[in-house]
Amino acid sequence: MQITFDQVSHMYGKGTPFERLALQNISLTIPSGAFVGIIGQTGSGKSTLIQHLNGLLTPTSGKITIGDVVITPSQRIPHARRKDIGLVFQYPEHQLFEETVAKDVCFGPLNFELPPNMAEARAREALEIVGLDYETMKDRSPFQLSGGQMRRVAIAGVLAMQPKVLVLDEPTAGLDPAGRKAILEGIHRIHREQKLTTLLVTHSMEEAARYADLMLVMAGGELVMQGRPEEVFQQAELLRTLSLDVPETVSFISRINQSLPDKESLPTTLYREEELIAHLLERLSAPKEC
Amino acid sequence: MLQNIAIGQYVPGQSFLHRADPRSKLLFIVLFATLVFLGNNTITHSILIGFTLFTILLSRLSFTYILKSLKPVWFLILFTVILHIFMTKGGTVYYQWGSFTIEEQGVRQAIFISIRLGLLILFSSLLTLTTSPMDLTEGLERLLRPFGRIGVPVHEIALMMSIALRFIPTLMEETDKIIKAQTARGADFTSGNLVRRAKNLIPIAIPLFISAFRRAEELALAMEARGYRGGVGRTRLNKLQFTWRDVAIAVVAAALTFVIWWWRT
Repeated sequence: MQITFDQVSHMYGKGTPFERLALQNISLTIPSGAFVGIIGQTGSGKSTLIQHLNGLLTPTSGKITIGDVVITPSQRIPHARRKDIGLVFQYPEHQLFEETVAKDVCFGPLNFELPPNMAEARAREALEIVGLDYETMKDRSPFQLSGGQMRRVAIAGVLAMQPKVLVLDEPTAGLDPAGRKAILEGIHRIHREQKLTTLLVTHSMEEAARYADLMLVMAGGELVMQGRPEEVFQQAELLRTLSLDVPETVSFISRINQSLPDKESLPTTLYREEELIAHLLERLSAPKEC
Repeated sequence: MLQNIAIGQYVPGQSFLHRADPRSKLLFIVLFATLVFLGNNTITHSILIGFTLFTILLSRLSFTYILKSLKPVWFLILFTVILHIFMTKGGTVYYQWGSFTIEEQGVRQAIFISIRLGLLILFSSLLTLTTSPMDLTEGLERLLRPFGRIGVPVHEIALMMSIALRFIPTLMEETDKIIKAQTARGADFTSGNLVRRAKNLIPIAIPLFISAFRRAEELALAMEARGYRGGVGRTRLNKLQFTWRDVAIAVVAAALTFVIWWWRT
């Protein structure tokens, strides 16, 4: 589903002494099927932005179009359309409540009036995507699982609704490196297989670089950059003034390039670790010409 | 969703009320509550209303924002008004329908009671709006200290109160977050009959309890790790000090008491 924001602003606590402008004239277009990385410091408006996507917050002014649904300050999203936009919040394991893992994952599908046997099939599928075995997990209490497993169950709870747009707010915060990778790889896989439009909010430039094909950089409630990752990473100076940094691969490339003659320099499009390694290996194993 | 509740929300500022000692403010509120119920005619109530308006001006907070603190209790006020209008008898009969009558005393009492309740709520929300929770509990601890001698655990009570106050906004934020997360999973909290709605609260209540317990445990650990062992021998970074402001408050208190006493019938 294509997502467009047209001059969207949002103000918290309107009419109180705590009034605060959290989003300011955001305009953007996300093509259907894109994997979008949203980066920015804490308090830059990332979370506020994504809560607009399924109508949890309505804009104070402006217009949002998601597929054929239009959201404006006066027009809310219909309940039935919410299932199209799967929203995984920060620390999603804090929303677990059922007695068993299976019941918790089925909560979403059942809310959208799916018959129980279909909901169960969805739960099985969703748990498999996040790398958990349905048979061994289904009857366990979600509160007896490890932190990483709880996180996966919670994400499965959103995936089970089979959304067309998947929005994840720092899904890997507080996990160990192996857990991070497993979760992100799983998400990336279903993104490709089910042709989802995925929005990933992250603090980590490395994560954004690895998966995103479109990046949004937020600062102070405004959208300061949008574009392909290599375009964004080229503006290293601007990123630094926003207290952000380029991924390690990009700074590695630019440091190597400093000591290489211009025509031999490494292309900056190699910001994905594997591609960079492959390129370097190829260069190093190639026979020297002179 | 839950951001519009004004009660108990401290708004930082530099006004006279903000800088007065919390002890004087607490004592003044006790006195004010007594005076509100001593007042029993139009003059005393007008004086009290005027005084409350003056105090609100003094706090330099927006008037409409303070009025919002009446929102959670308007139902209670309405309820007492209706009770008084129909139940209290005496004086001229304004309206009669079968055995129902609305009489002069009923209307009078209804107006007075709603004024009293309103003023009490406004005044006490002024206290929490202009006093930080830390100051408030320290003021309370100091005021209650004499009761410590007869075995009242004053420090513990004050600590419990400050923790409770401290966690109100945190838990509200948490509730808001959980409501949003479950709404995103298609939970519907606004339709269905009463039983259904109560059942729908389970997906909010359970995560909220779990997070409250987790927070409590973490807080206890953090306090112990920093050497907390009860109130004995604990010193203060900022000691409360009476200033000219508190003298002014005492003078105003005495004057107000005298005026109300003089005009009441």
